[in-house]
Amino acid sequence: MSKLPSMQVALDGAMPDMGLAEVARRRLVVRDSARRSIGRRRTAGRAMQVICLLAVPIALAPLVALAIATVSKGAGALSIGFLAHAPTPEGVPGGGISTAIVGSGEIIAYAIALAVPLGLFIALFLFERPGPIASAIRFSADVMSGVPSIIIGIFAYAVYVERFHHFSDVAAGFALGVLMLPIMVRANEEAMRTVSVDLWEAGISLGARRSRVARSVVLRGALPGVVTGNLLALARGVGETAPLLFTVASPTFAMTLLIFNDATQPYPDAQQTAWGTALVLLALVLILSVIARTVAWTLNRKTR
Amino acid sequence: MKQNDAATDTGANHETDQQTLFGDRSGQLAKESRVPAGKPDAGAHGTAVTLDDVSISFGDHVAVRNVTLQLPAREVTALVGPSGCGKTSVLRAINRLHDHTGGVVRGTIRLGSLDVYGTDVQPEVLRSRIGMVFQKPNPFPTMSIFDNVISGLRFNGVRNKRLLREMGIAALHNAALWDIVKDRLHQPALRLSGGQQQRLCIARALAIEPEVLLMDEPCSALDPVATAKIEDLIRHLSGEVTIALVTHNMFQAARVSDNVAVFLLGEDRVGELVEVGPTDRVFDTPSDARTKAYVTGHVG
Amino acid sequence: MNEPIANSPPSPASGSAVPGEGGVSPDARRPWHKRRLLPSSPLYATLRWGAAGLFAAIVVGLIVSIVSQSSQAFAHSGISFLWSGTWNPDAGDYASGTLVVGTVITTLVAMIIVVPVGLGVSVSLSELMPRWLAAPLSTSIEFLAAVPSIVVGLWALLVLSPVFATDVEPALEGLPVLNRIFRGPAYGPSVLLASVVLAIMTLPTVVALSRTALGGVPIADREAAMALGATHWQVVRRTVLPGARSGIAAAITLAIGRALGESIAVALVIGNRPAIPHSLLAPGATLGSAIVNQFAEASPGLGTSAVIALAGVLLLLTILVNVVGQLLVRRRGGRRLLGVRGAVV
Repeated sequence: MSKLPSMQVALDGAMPDMGLAEVARRRLVVRDSARRSIGRRRTAGRAMQVICLLAVPIALAPLVALAIATVSKGAGALSIGFLAHAPTPEGVPGGGISTAIVGSGEIIAYAIALAVPLGLFIALFLFERPGPIASAIRFSADVMSGVPSIIIGIFAYAVYVERFHHFSDVAAGFALGVLMLPIMVRANEEAMRTVSVDLWEAGISLGARRSRVARSVVLRGALPGVVTGNLLALARGVGETAPLLFTVASPTFAMTLLIFNDATQPYPDAQQTAWGTALVLLALVLILSVIARTVAWTLNRKTR
Repeated sequence: MKQNDAATDTGANHETDQQTLFGDRSGQLAKESRVPAGKPDAGAHGTAVTLDDVSISFGDHVAVRNVTLQLPAREVTALVGPSGCGKTSVLRAINRLHDHTGGVVRGTIRLGSLDVYGTDVQPEVLRSRIGMVFQKPNPFPTMSIFDNVISGLRFNGVRNKRLLREMGIAALHNAALWDIVKDRLHQPALRLSGGQQQRLCIARALAIEPEVLLMDEPCSALDPVATAKIEDLIRHLSGEVTIALVTHNMFQAARVSDNVAVFLLGEDRVGELVEVGPTDRVFDTPSDARTKAYVTGHVG
Repeated sequence: MNEPIANSPPSPASGSAVPGEGGVSPDARRPWHKRRLLPSSPLYATLRWGAAGLFAAIVVGLIVSIVSQSSQAFAHSGISFLWSGTWNPDAGDYASGTLVVGTVITTLVAMIIVVPVGLGVSVSLSELMPRWLAAPLSTSIEFLAAVPSIVVGLWALLVLSPVFATDVEPALEGLPVLNRIFRGPAYGPSVLLASVVLAIMTLPTVVALSRTALGGVPIADREAAMALGATHWQVVRRTVLPGARSGIAAAITLAIGRALGESIAVALVIGNRPAIPHSLLAPGATLGSAIVNQFAEASPGLGTSAVIALAGVLLLLTILVNVVGQLLVRRRGGRRLLGVRGAVV
């Protein structure tokens, strides 16, 4: 990406000849240049456009290949029994992933219990109290949302597992909650910002208590954004593996861990299970994303 | 923001007031190029742009219809009227800016003898013959002042450094901006005040030596002092380049234009051209009753 | 406190006080967020401050626990843990140097792949394609962002890796000049495969943020260029791309942050050999992949502490990159500063 080279010449600024003949000459130069260069400019532009457009199939190819592979290989594993039965040891047929589904559900429930209310109140704090403290919290939320999930897993291990000497879904839920929290905080605050400060101000100056204003004005207005943001954060949390790695007792107690574990097994059965679980997970995440978008869309229409 | 800019504008450059902007030439030029009263529409230098039965529509909505209008060469023609009556649409039709916004232009527009919408016309080449100044100053924010001025030349393939320098300086002189920016040509264009930015945009448009300069309410975002400078510049430029000036300010039209075209909304909310003629004549003795009502309501 | 309010009936904690009359209080002149016509209900204030405090505690706790738990490893290897030596627990050698190099190389190669592709896609979606085509395509790419990294890893390991081993890598070895960095043998799992996976995973980040930046360039700027006779591509190249450059820089920085920290998918496909790779086709290891693979096997005490120290190094790296990224996102005046630098006489 080269930029337009700046004029690097000293400009003396002597008034150029402004005579009519000189103007006509300059005009001719531009016209001539425009006419002669247009073919080259258009061809070069088309070439660059084609190059840009070629990037689109390159970008979509992995997505399509991944979707096809997951559906085609995962569908073979899916059955009622696959979802309802507990895993069996290697070599024993008929195993399912029920324990992983239940485990993931439990972990997510803990994560929601931690992150959703906390995210809401932190966002309200940021919204109502501009100032250095809020700026610091906002900045750390932004930086936290970039902290690798594996580090949050290590953190949960250090805080819980090492202290109480056992793996636990609570620790895993804590890790996922910490992971989702900064995303939720920022999404909630953005949603609240779309509610006019004037409304908040009007509520406050009418003499209503802050909590009532928060409930009746801010939250009601921000609801579509809050729901959407929380669901998208949840979708991210559901698919995380790294925070669970050091907090969950067995890979059979969480879907993502089960995939990680079975993917590296040489047995076709295990790989089949991994694909099946991946398909379930993918469907779950897709459903969450679609619900998030639909909620945003319908609630936005209703409030308008 | 704008107020602050205006303050620095007047504060920093009060030496370039109306008298010293162009020395002795300005008043003289203005008088010379003014069409003698009573002379019919045809300008002293022929016609630069001809619109014949032009209608412009966006989807189902017709913005303006059946406009027949001539822009006399090297004169200022003001397009006036209430908002929404299609003045800007007409202006943008002349350099085919509607090509990208889905506007459909019917009728004929000629630049000199060239059919603007002819099948063999390349819009880019056409636009390089026509300058345009927009409502809000829009210098390229990532470019320096001087790079802004010569950007049009570069777009059109001019690469010779000496030529670029010479034509850029000439354009800055033409826009009465040289003395203000000569020491900071390589600073970002956004450092200038609002009024200076708009003059920079005029310089940028002039650098490609256009035959026609389209100005779409160039003063609407400016304060009175900056407006006065732009108007002065317009008067100065008439006589050298054909100018089409869209404005809703009747006083401005009266001050700077040689000819005026009055647009009004028809009964079915479609813009129409109701009267066109020399400025003095249209404002003093409008021939159309609607013009008279509109003009007296705004000027008288 | 205002008289009418003092007279108002005691309100429940949820607070639904009816405002009395009374003129403009002096409070009305204060900035809105400092006004206190009514005190916050104690419960609500506690919840807000408590939540904020808890968040601060989490952030501080994260840093403190990583630092304190890694102290044993730093005591063992010294500060040179950060850069020197190899990772070889069996010999008692703990150092992150090779892993940092591996992390930087995979991220760099991923960016070399993803930046041109991502920019091409962003420009296509934002400037070249009609809306009816751009909208579904951009939704698809956003969906790629939602795909869990473990699913990408699974696909890369079981589908992409065999293709790399049999087709892609032998083909790269045959390239003139470039085969110096593409030297065999072709295993499948390799630094290159990890980079490709990272490129796939960071693409949505690059596209979403760049597209927002491109779309934010005002129509007025585009029309200014158009009216001067610029072709469509010239408008994009000279007006839209420069206007969006601070946003694009932020997009790339945040993508780098994501690539540095991705662990699970990389651990599946990089081959896990904690040494400086002699070729992009050789297996390697990153900080993230090493944490994933070493943690379970680490000996209690020093071993675990060393792995946590790796997490500390990774944390440092990503925070650095993310702070730069956040500053780039925030600094709206950034393009002016860049403009000055670009035009020094």
